[in-house]
Amino acid sequence: MPITFKELTHEYNAGTPFAYLALDAIDLSITEGAITAIIGETGSGKSTLVQHLNALLLPTEGSLTVLDRTITATEKPKQLKELRKRVGLVFQFPEYQLFEETIAQDIAFGPKNFGMSEEEALSKAKEMLQIVGLSEDYLERSPFELSGGQKRRVAIAGILAMDPEVLVLDEPAAGLDPQGAKDMMELFVRLNKELHKTVLLVTHDMEHVLNYCDHVVVVDNGHIVQTSDKLHFFQDTSLLHKLRINPPAIIRLRDELNQRGFDLPCDILDTEVLAKAIADEVKHHE
Amino acid sequence: MKKIQVSHLSFGYHKENPVIHDASFSIEEGSYTTIIGHNGSGKSTIAKLMIGLLESDSGVITVDGLELSEANIHDIRDRIGIVFQNPDNQFIGASVADDIAFGLENHRVPSEQMQGIIEEFADRVNMRKFLNSEPTKLSGGQKQRVAIAGVLAMKPQIIIFDEATSMLDPQGKAEINALIQDIHAQSNLTIISITHDIEEVAHSDHVIVLDGGHIVLDGSPDEVLFHEQELIDLRLDIPYALKLQHALKRQGLETKPCTTMEGVVDELCRLRLKN
Repeated sequence: MPITFKELTHEYNAGTPFAYLALDAIDLSITEGAITAIIGETGSGKSTLVQHLNALLLPTEGSLTVLDRTITATEKPKQLKELRKRVGLVFQFPEYQLFEETIAQDIAFGPKNFGMSEEEALSKAKEMLQIVGLSEDYLERSPFELSGGQKRRVAIAGILAMDPEVLVLDEPAAGLDPQGAKDMMELFVRLNKELHKTVLLVTHDMEHVLNYCDHVVVVDNGHIVQTSDKLHFFQDTSLLHKLRINPPAIIRLRDELNQRGFDLPCDILDTEVLAKAIADEVKHHE
Repeated sequence: MKKIQVSHLSFGYHKENPVIHDASFSIEEGSYTTIIGHNGSGKSTIAKLMIGLLESDSGVITVDGLELSEANIHDIRDRIGIVFQNPDNQFIGASVADDIAFGLENHRVPSEQMQGIIEEFADRVNMRKFLNSEPTKLSGGQKQRVAIAGVLAMKPQIIIFDEATSMLDPQGKAEINALIQDIHAQSNLTIISITHDIEEVAHSDHVIVLDGGHIVLDGSPDEVLFHEQELIDLRLDIPYALKLQHALKRQGLETKPCTTMEGVVDELCRLRLKN
């Protein structure tokens, strides 16, 4: 069942002089079992949107249905614990939230909070550390001795330890080096393909959208301005330019060549296919 | 003319575990140098050694022919400015004007001159209308612009940007990159940029590649970036222009090797019209 937003509005400080309309009656459907990218400028409403998914924020109007639960403005927070276990939310720079003495304790903190025994939680920690690509040797070490990318993996392992069905990540690759970012994105693809998690990613990086995501949702000024699959999304880059987002290199190259007289098809997302189209045109140009 | 010369530099936070090994390189006056390497390769440590924030275990750093030592560290720091990665960690003033004033006050610039200097450099980074704004009201890109204004106001000859755009959103990145290019074009400043942006590297004058504290490649972008397999083995990116040229070659189309997107577009347009 997809995640659906129905005329959902979120206004911060509603009814005060500081009222700010962050989401304006949005309708949106997110496919279950896929990787969806959520993109938009800073301040567009992306983070407000994703914080509704585990009811960290409640709509001020309208509703949201996620995993058979419908959430409205009048929801009682104490009934939401189950949902927060099933929808894991990873904030930006989650490594700043590590606090325990050992990595094992840090990962086990969430599951223990949701009622798992100490023993179960620690065995879960061991399993998750492996999933995020760190060896067992790390379990008893302090999380503060790790590099930035490793810390982030530990923070993500802490969320995965609650075995959420939906995983929501706010810019998970920001600030990592190119290889660290690639490893991180490949982890999400694995969680999606092998463990069948629905993954939502807030991202600014169009190379990641191109290489790892299935669907794209564009948020602008509190509205959803586009939802489409990846192929259609990159066919026309005028919206990206309007949002001042740099398209992926392959798309920039395609557009650049087409502007200078080439006639390359707009549904190419693969470098080998693009190279073949270019080579054909160069060789057969009259 | 050599602006900076580093020879046989070694450094370790713990003596038994050096993070910079016998590094030697030089940087030309007025050049735009990029330093790349994966996280933990020693890039930021080299920057901190060059401005004397860390003291080397052995080796020599000279700036304008002056050898960095305790005696002249202040003289050398007057010549080098640095902009760090995290905009929140380097904004110390209560307002934009205060933040730009901080360095000037440390240099005992007379207060009657200060307002004019603050305005001049706020203008330079297009932040004049925010002079009285508090840092919480500014975006990451705006805070980095203020950091750059603070550095420029000290009239340095060299500026080091240590991943100054990596925590910014795309607009912030674009703004800061454009500002750095503009500063470089309009002055004889020597720019050193520690970066992961391989397109920025392709457009620079000089590239230094670090791995595990060793300098592994050092030269022009063409000299360095054509060592593709080596860069991939070092877990670094290669420019898309090169990836495409390999794919073209597999399709039987030979192109003149080039590392920038504009270069490869020009070359393909030329080949198409020739046929």
